[in-house]
Amino acid sequence: MCRPIVVGGTTMKTIALFLTLMLTWAHAWAQEVDDGNDLLNRPADRTYDLILESGYLKVGVYENFPPYSYEVDGEPRGVDIELGKRIAWEMGVEFRVHWITPDENLGDDLRNNVWKGHYLAKQRLADVMLRVPYDKKYAYMQDSTGEYINEQVVLFGPYQQETWQIAFDPEKLDSVETVAVFQYHPIGVEIDTLPDFYLSSGLGGRLRDQVRHYRNVREAFEAMRAGEVSAVMGMRSEIDHELARPENAAFRLAGNGFPGIGKQVWDVGMAIKHTHRQLGYALEAIVDRLVKQGEMDALFADLNLRYSVPQYYREFLDAKALARAEGEL
Amino acid sequence: MRSNKFGIRIAASALALAVSYGAQAVTDKDIMNDENTPEDVVTYGMGLKGQRFSSLESLNTDNIQYLQPVWAFSFGSEKMRGQEAQPMVKDGVMYVSASYSRVYAIDVKTGEELWQYDARLPDGIMPCCDVVNRGVALYDDKVIFGTLDAKLVALNKDTGKPMWIKKVADYQAGYAITAAPIVVKGKVITGVSGGEFGIVGKVEAYDANTGEKVWTRPTVEGHMGYVYKDGKKIENGISGGKAGQTWPGDMWKNGGAATWLGGTYDPETDSLFFGTGNPAPWNSHLRPGDNLFSSSRLAIDPDDGSIKWHFQTTPHDGWDYDGVNELVSFDLKENGKTIKAAATADRNGFMYVLNRENGDFIRGFPFVDKITWAKGLDPKTGRPIFTEGGRPGDPSATEGTKGEPVVAQPAFLGGKNWMPMAYSPETELFYVPSNEWSMDIWNEPVSYKKGAAFLGAGFTIKPANDDYIGVLRAMDPKTGEEVWRYENTAPLWGGVMTTAGNLVFTGTPEGYLKAFDAKTGKQLYQFNTGSGVVGTPITWEMDGEQYVSVLSGWGGAVPLWGGEVAKVVKDFNQGGMVWTFKLPKDRVAAN
Repeated sequence: MCRPIVVGGTTMKTIALFLTLMLTWAHAWAQEVDDGNDLLNRPADRTYDLILESGYLKVGVYENFPPYSYEVDGEPRGVDIELGKRIAWEMGVEFRVHWITPDENLGDDLRNNVWKGHYLAKQRLADVMLRVPYDKKYAYMQDSTGEYINEQVVLFGPYQQETWQIAFDPEKLDSVETVAVFQYHPIGVEIDTLPDFYLSSGLGGRLRDQVRHYRNVREAFEAMRAGEVSAVMGMRSEIDHELARPENAAFRLAGNGFPGIGKQVWDVGMAIKHTHRQLGYALEAIVDRLVKQGEMDALFADLNLRYSVPQYYREFLDAKALARAEGEL
Repeated sequence: MRSNKFGIRIAASALALAVSYGAQAVTDKDIMNDENTPEDVVTYGMGLKGQRFSSLESLNTDNIQYLQPVWAFSFGSEKMRGQEAQPMVKDGVMYVSASYSRVYAIDVKTGEELWQYDARLPDGIMPCCDVVNRGVALYDDKVIFGTLDAKLVALNKDTGKPMWIKKVADYQAGYAITAAPIVVKGKVITGVSGGEFGIVGKVEAYDANTGEKVWTRPTVEGHMGYVYKDGKKIENGISGGKAGQTWPGDMWKNGGAATWLGGTYDPETDSLFFGTGNPAPWNSHLRPGDNLFSSSRLAIDPDDGSIKWHFQTTPHDGWDYDGVNELVSFDLKENGKTIKAAATADRNGFMYVLNRENGDFIRGFPFVDKITWAKGLDPKTGRPIFTEGGRPGDPSATEGTKGEPVVAQPAFLGGKNWMPMAYSPETELFYVPSNEWSMDIWNEPVSYKKGAAFLGAGFTIKPANDDYIGVLRAMDPKTGEEVWRYENTAPLWGGVMTTAGNLVFTGTPEGYLKAFDAKTGKQLYQFNTGSGVVGTPITWEMDGEQYVSVLSGWGGAVPLWGGEVAKVVKDFNQGGMVWTFKLPKDRVAAN
């Protein structure tokens, strides 16, 4: 890694040592902590007390997933990273990133990163995972024998509401009133996502031939700049993030609805192992305050992202409290 | 004590070196002629055609009860997961791969290790389909195998040191290699494994001596194939002619059709035979059309990778019926004629007999007790006649509800999965390791992926019968009749071998190596190896005695999928061993 060149003399050495420490500190967030048990090949059982004692919190976030969590020049960036750092700061410990390679579905990600560990990396678990949809139906899903499928984890602490969004190229389209326009104009989606399925099967399959598949939303925007597609559909934060980049300044937000999508909005929260509830209560209290006091909104606003309070809070916060949480007071 | 031990160690390894340095290089001729040289096994399939038949008969139905273990070898470490390889034997050395991309050279006389190679896998690698490895290829002074991070590695056969390493595909994009490569005319031929998203299957050839790429052939319609000459990449025709014929929109760009089980080769027609996996995405309602060349068998020219013909077993697949199962070449003697035929037992429950010169359908028939998704095959073309209502529903059409669950038989793990069958030219029967199970498929009412709402499917696998799942069958390719069957409690997941001694060998997850009478199916022998047998046995002759070897180590795909099948297999312990048996000389004489 970064080794300072020692020119000579005590002062230089001290400066070099100081620089090294600074660099190490800066890089610490990007480097994962290996605290599993080598001998027994299992992860450390990091309860709330152990986390405080160790002085760091391992926050699980998806890799390469702007604007939520990604790397720039070896540094973790994104709104989930900022939230993770904020939570760690509130707990009085250091933030440590735990990158998650997404598997086929959320259940796999929870197993690989929250409660069991991947079979090729059994010592590697996050203390808490972010960007986990908060949905009672999902949390209490049962299998054919009546067992709770997600009994190994606690899903809690909703901190954002996410939704779908289209951006379009005004050179190609005047506006997007309905998705029917994509019978005639190509639209980019991330492969194997709900927008992919929705547009490929919608209107009896009449949009299917216009759907162009990309590995992620960023690549779909590259294609829009190259004129390959007239629009891109993704999650609202992804679209907001791309539109905030100067090279995408020409593109516009669409105002269309998404008829036929069962889940138009969903809450996003956190997950911990079910035996670590004390940690969960602490995290929940922190996030609850951030949401209610409008600080979560500020985290999103700093990154040019619109913020919506989770449905969970809409059930009980009054209009004024909601306005405060969404940064309008 | 210490110096003494050290001394013994030196002596042992010196001996080991002496053994391996005496070994001859493996030539193209050795490979092409493997089925006729019972003193060695230098190809995956015991011959490139993949018949897994040995002409040895000193071990036979009369003396099999005297088959005895001579040594066992442990792969060591905690990496005990699914040992699916077939060993190779050449000049007193066994070369075998193990799970997690490991390779071992073993002195076959003593069972002592000569060398071990552990592929260094990248951190954070997420292989799509378990960590198995199905075997190595031998060529010249090299042992060649594929790794979980989708590389081909050539090791020196005497030292185990890498001679070349080539990246075949990007593991970060979801590719891996688990199949045994084959060597044909100096070229290493390999396919690729891949997850569901955004991958395109391909078959590639590399110069066995240098590792340089010779040609590449994508297995999805619309992608360009290339040959490489003097450092130049030259276009060699688009697979299927052009894009968009059997796929809607741009879906051909990410069409799947992974070639994850490798292939066979027939010298008479000079054709490679590779199978292809299911199309992507899994939801078939998004991709109306046949989706070529998914779930197909392809005949490929080994010189430049051109596709000679294809036969699609499951057009527009909606059940995850990969078409990867091996196509085995054989001479079909019928009505006084000998037809150059080939047969395959598909995941979808049908066995197909094809003309291997042109891919023409000769006949097809179920090799499992029940098939629900199709009523039968078109007698002329072999195309399935789909059952109405047999296709899993479109989750977009029933979003938020479970929809109507569909019961499909066989389950997606197939009437037969990866485990190779065997063909005996003496009995003219195929010995097919099969399973009787069904699956329920429904649309998940609530599903999420990477932080977002999603539309997923749920499924569960169920045994079709109370008392058994696995069935080893003798199938007659002329009549489609089952001649005999052996029923096994757990699913069969190991390969089969047959011999001129009228024997059929296979392993079971319960840990047994078993031998049967090839004509009657009567079980004649079993030995418990201590963990499930999901590898493929071999036999060879050394110093006038017949040997049998098989890997032991439970794993593979079955324990990864729960459902009611899990109840049958949950108590099986993992392992990682090679077991070697022989028939002692005096037992042959006594016969």
